[in-house]
Amino acid sequence: MPKRPRRVLRRRWATTEGWRDTKAGMWAWVVQRGAALGLLLVIVLHLHNPFWRPVQAMLLALVLLHGLLGVRAILLDFGLPVRWHRGLLVLALAAGAAIFAAFWGWRWS
Amino acid sequence: MVLKVFRWSPGFRERVQRFWVPAKEGMTVLDALLDAQHRLDPTLAFRYACRVGMCGSCGMVINGRERWACRTVLKSLRSGIVTVRPLYHFPLIRDLVVDLAPLVEQTARVGGAFMAAEGRPAFARVGGDDPERRQIDAAIECIGCGMCMSACTMVANDPRFPGPAALNRLFTLQQDSRDAGHAERTAVMLSEDTLMRCHTQANCTDVCPMGISPTQSILALRRRAVRRLLG
Repeated sequence: MPKRPRRVLRRRWATTEGWRDTKAGMWAWVVQRGAALGLLLVIVLHLHNPFWRPVQAMLLALVLLHGLLGVRAILLDFGLPVRWHRGLLVLALAAGAAIFAAFWGWRWS
Repeated sequence: MVLKVFRWSPGFRERVQRFWVPAKEGMTVLDALLDAQHRLDPTLAFRYACRVGMCGSCGMVINGRERWACRTVLKSLRSGIVTVRPLYHFPLIRDLVVDLAPLVEQTARVGGAFMAAEGRPAFARVGGDDPERRQIDAAIECIGCGMCMSACTMVANDPRFPGPAALNRLFTLQQDSRDAGHAERTAVMLSEDTLMRCHTQANCTDVCPMGISPTQSILALRRRAVRRLLG
């Protein structure tokens, strides 16, 4: 029996071709994980100086981003049709921006 | 238009070859590849069969996305340069041709074959309006083209993850009351490399040429597994 070739191509994430036509669901996943990593850094900065406005704003933005994308994932887990996943991403981002703007107007302006 | 095609054969380094192809109205990527092969380089290897979007043989990565070449009209890509690469995560045979055996092997490994329950017929007449059938209606249309496995990032990272096609197949079997392998498959599905490995990115759903949502099937299996665990 001939030996099967084992050369397997993978997307190379360090290349533009690897990211070409990246889909909405993938972006949602990447952004949520990125926000989690960002939170680790910003929480340290926030503990260092809790009253520094840029850090407070970053903390709120990252919490909203991470949390609302998590809600999107939970809604899909609980049976919302997967064909809505792009709409849910837009909704999560829009809701995050609206809450951030409302909070900014209420407490920081 | 320019076709940038991935070229590789055993023993040689990979490269990208450019072909200048005169684009015509209604021309598909498969037409362009055939033109390049006939006029410019007869050694260019790619796979196709039906040419009308039924068999899935011509699945490739076209401008970064998994598509079937025979149904992708050049004009729809809105690009003067079209990049064509073989499907990811499958062993390369040559140029744009990959070995789809992992798709079959992974499906078999997780119990993707029907197991007739004792006393129940393996073949039965199931009406189109049967509730059991309607639950799996969309999911049974898989043509085994491999595009979902190519688009899935988890397939790239975990060789034990069976992939969207195999899990979609399991969903159809787990819904089948004539099948006797439910418990056995549930044990496999609850292992750490199977259902829980899916990150719900829905790349498979976005690229499936048949409009199937393997993500939906995986989530349905997860809900079923959770209900089972909770009694």
